[in-house]
Amino acid sequence: MKIEHKYSFKLPREVVWKYIQDSQVLRSALPGCQSFEERSDGVYLAEMGLNVGPIKGLFTTEVKQTNQIPPSSYRLIVRGKGKPGDVDATADMFIKEAGDGAQVTCVADVQVTGVLASVGQRVMGGVAKIILSQFFKAAEKEMIKEMNRV
Amino acid sequence: MAKVLGKPIKRKEDPKLITGHGQFTDDIKLPGMLFAAMKRSGLAHAKIKTINTDQALNHPGVVAVYTGKDVQDKIKPIRSIWLVPGCDLIPKDRVPLAVDKVNYAGEAVAMVIAESRYVARDALDLIEVEYEELPAVVHQEAALAESAPIIYEDVPQNIAFTWKAGEVPEEVFANAEVVVNQRLVEQRVIANPMETRGAVAQYNPGSGDLTIWCTTQNPHIHRMTYADALGVPETKLRIIAPDMGGGFGAKIAVYTEEAVVALAAMELNQPVKWIEDRQEHFLATSHARDQVITTELAGTKDGKILAVRAKNIANLGAYLSTMGAGVPTIDFGLMITGAYDIPHAAAETIGVYTNTTPTDAYRGAGKPEASFQIERIINLYADKIGMDPIEVRKKNLVAKVPYTNAMGCNYDSGDYHGTLAKALETIDYAALRKEQEDARNNGRLLGIGISTYVELCGLGPSKVAGAIGFGGGLWENSTIRVHPSGKVTVFTGASPHGQGEGTTFAQVVAEKFGIPVEDIELVSGDTLMISMGWGTYGSRTTPVAGGALAIAADRIVEKAKLIAAHELEVTVDDLDFSDGVFSVKGQPEKHRTFKEIAWSANNAWNLPDGMEPALEGQCFFDPPDFVYPFGAHICVVEVDPDTGVVELKRYVSVDDVGRIINPMIVEGQVHGGLAQGIGQALWEQSVYSDKGQLLSGTFMDYTMPKAKFFPKFESSFVESPSPVNQLGAKGVGETGTTAAPSAIVNAVMDALAPFGVKDLEMPLTPEKVWRAIHDGRKG
Repeated sequence: MKIEHKYSFKLPREVVWKYIQDSQVLRSALPGCQSFEERSDGVYLAEMGLNVGPIKGLFTTEVKQTNQIPPSSYRLIVRGKGKPGDVDATADMFIKEAGDGAQVTCVADVQVTGVLASVGQRVMGGVAKIILSQFFKAAEKEMIKEMNRV
Repeated sequence: MAKVLGKPIKRKEDPKLITGHGQFTDDIKLPGMLFAAMKRSGLAHAKIKTINTDQALNHPGVVAVYTGKDVQDKIKPIRSIWLVPGCDLIPKDRVPLAVDKVNYAGEAVAMVIAESRYVARDALDLIEVEYEELPAVVHQEAALAESAPIIYEDVPQNIAFTWKAGEVPEEVFANAEVVVNQRLVEQRVIANPMETRGAVAQYNPGSGDLTIWCTTQNPHIHRMTYADALGVPETKLRIIAPDMGGGFGAKIAVYTEEAVVALAAMELNQPVKWIEDRQEHFLATSHARDQVITTELAGTKDGKILAVRAKNIANLGAYLSTMGAGVPTIDFGLMITGAYDIPHAAAETIGVYTNTTPTDAYRGAGKPEASFQIERIINLYADKIGMDPIEVRKKNLVAKVPYTNAMGCNYDSGDYHGTLAKALETIDYAALRKEQEDARNNGRLLGIGISTYVELCGLGPSKVAGAIGFGGGLWENSTIRVHPSGKVTVFTGASPHGQGEGTTFAQVVAEKFGIPVEDIELVSGDTLMISMGWGTYGSRTTPVAGGALAIAADRIVEKAKLIAAHELEVTVDDLDFSDGVFSVKGQPEKHRTFKEIAWSANNAWNLPDGMEPALEGQCFFDPPDFVYPFGAHICVVEVDPDTGVVELKRYVSVDDVGRIINPMIVEGQVHGGLAQGIGQALWEQSVYSDKGQLLSGTFMDYTMPKAKFFPKFESSFVESPSPVNQLGAKGVGETGTTAAPSAIVNAVMDALAPFGVKDLEMPLTPEKVWRAIHDGRKG
């Protein structure tokens, strides 16, 4: 399934680029994030508790960030495992300047199995957008925090 | 005694069912009963690397966990019963629980047994299965491609069989004035009875008796198969089909869950219950149809059909289900000429394994597919030669019965033109065409669709069953026991599960004996109570088991008459029998009632010399041939050009189902079949992702028709008794699903004709229809 979502940051593109892949920001901004660690090979391991409609439960997730082209795009490869099923996603993140801020476009191809597929499929697009919105909003907050700290 | 045959009396079964006193599989509660839940594969095609059950086993309330390795030496694979001969069939049997590899999403890999249903379900999440995912193949045409993933190493190209019947000389097509061909898709659908599947198993270690209550349309076939799979003698295995909330063919198949539940009950020495939830039902109960049929018709310019040939690529799913091979071959191929006198016909079916849920029978089983392709191709032919589709039908409908079609099927009785004439009159066809024209001039899209179908039912002669590879007989058994009080119990080997034979069979016996319908009870669905029988499917219960019933009843009347004559000191020829009274001709005051004779026969104080006591009759009836219900269905639809929504405005059905025993039940059967047939045409579809994930796994995604979707059905009947059984019944359960899909699609195509639309694949969803209109407008 293809999912596309856009979010406008009221922060400059360079700031968004700098922090959106920052492990501190990710840890704080990932929805329902219960644990987060970076493996030596640069792969992040996260446990996320999701609860949106039929998509409910703890997901153990591996996230890899590749194909970085600063400051305009990178790719996320996500493999998640949970009781309702598995998630395999490839998400391309495009960051472009938009006025004073930056617009991030996430274009993802998501494959799911089990109950996630047979029951969750219809609501998956909506759920993904909710989760992405939550993430971007929280990330923006964290970015502002980080900037203020510097 | 008023005549009861042919009367619309209310169903005897219903008071119990509608007051909540039915006894369904899930109502069975036994002391110490445990509950089973199935861990199912989330992947469509994968190697199983490891299964870790430790956590599940340690979960409080969990009694046992079984994996494929635990059961593989204890339960044999569940064999298909219909091994169609002469087609190089490579059967792939379902294994009780997958061992090394899963072949479809939803295949069971482990079973948890726990003290409660909820604990069992929770523990499923604690089982860890490590898979190595393999590429999956979902669509049957894709599965034939050279680059397609192979599911079984010994099944090249995933081809399970290539079956052929009939022949059309090449020159018929080569020299034909008109040839039409069309690829038609019978989409995958899922039977959704109100009650899902389920089983309760109980074992007595002292006697070795194993009882399985389960949702089956054919308990004796289940007994035969499970006795073999579990290594339990048939004498020690009792299968009981309690009340059932419908089956529609999905409960013909012999599945694996019942067998593993039975094994657990035997090993744990406690009763075990498993009830499928609706999500499991979507994944694990037979799917149906899923055939891509390319049909070619040769005809003359003035509307005479010369030949038809059909090539069917059938999706069997991951395993060969119980009747999986028979449905798209015998059930389909022998009927591809429909109700028409077409001299030449040839059918070819390629059965293909894919990484999907196995397919099997669903209301009509092969006949809806056969009917759909001929009814659609005839309309395309009519369109091509510029003739009204009604006129083409009139020109080609079978003129005189008995008639033997090009495949050798003997259409038994009735007037094929008569039902069409009656349907045209009911709907006022000429006025309707005028109305359509006016509507078109006002920008409204009315469409008229027709189907003049015939189907093969009343399965069937056992020697034919043997010849077509059916692993059993198709005769039927009915036993009538007259108790000392004159009340009657009927035992039948068919296994009705909602079709109302508790009432119709009582009507037959009441008519024969002249006793009230209330005095007669039907027993079915229990292998201990009924010696043998082959179950309920293929519209066979009334024609075949009912046929046996009528003969058994005659045998009882014959014996009762001998007793009455003996008591009245006359010969049987001196006796009249009517309305339940044996009376001496000319001396009606000298008489015996049927009830009195029941008492005499059972007490045996004074029977004719040499006569055995009691009053019981049995008949094992093997019908000489099949029966062929047929009819004409015409419907009117209106398509909203702005939204693509199809509104069904009228539906007229005229069916000849032979002699009607209870018109109310028959009408109900037609209405139910129509709902499912129209459902397939307009709404229902089982959809997989490319990776074999079932995307239509809930009622949110799979459209079940609702009452408000339909207009009032205008159904009527013509009765031509079938000569192949004493009742003259032809079977009625599958007429609606056989006739309706093509009638509806023909109507929608007629509505869309101004846009040049010739064919759309079912279901005709608003999006599909809107796009066709939109593309048509663009030219």
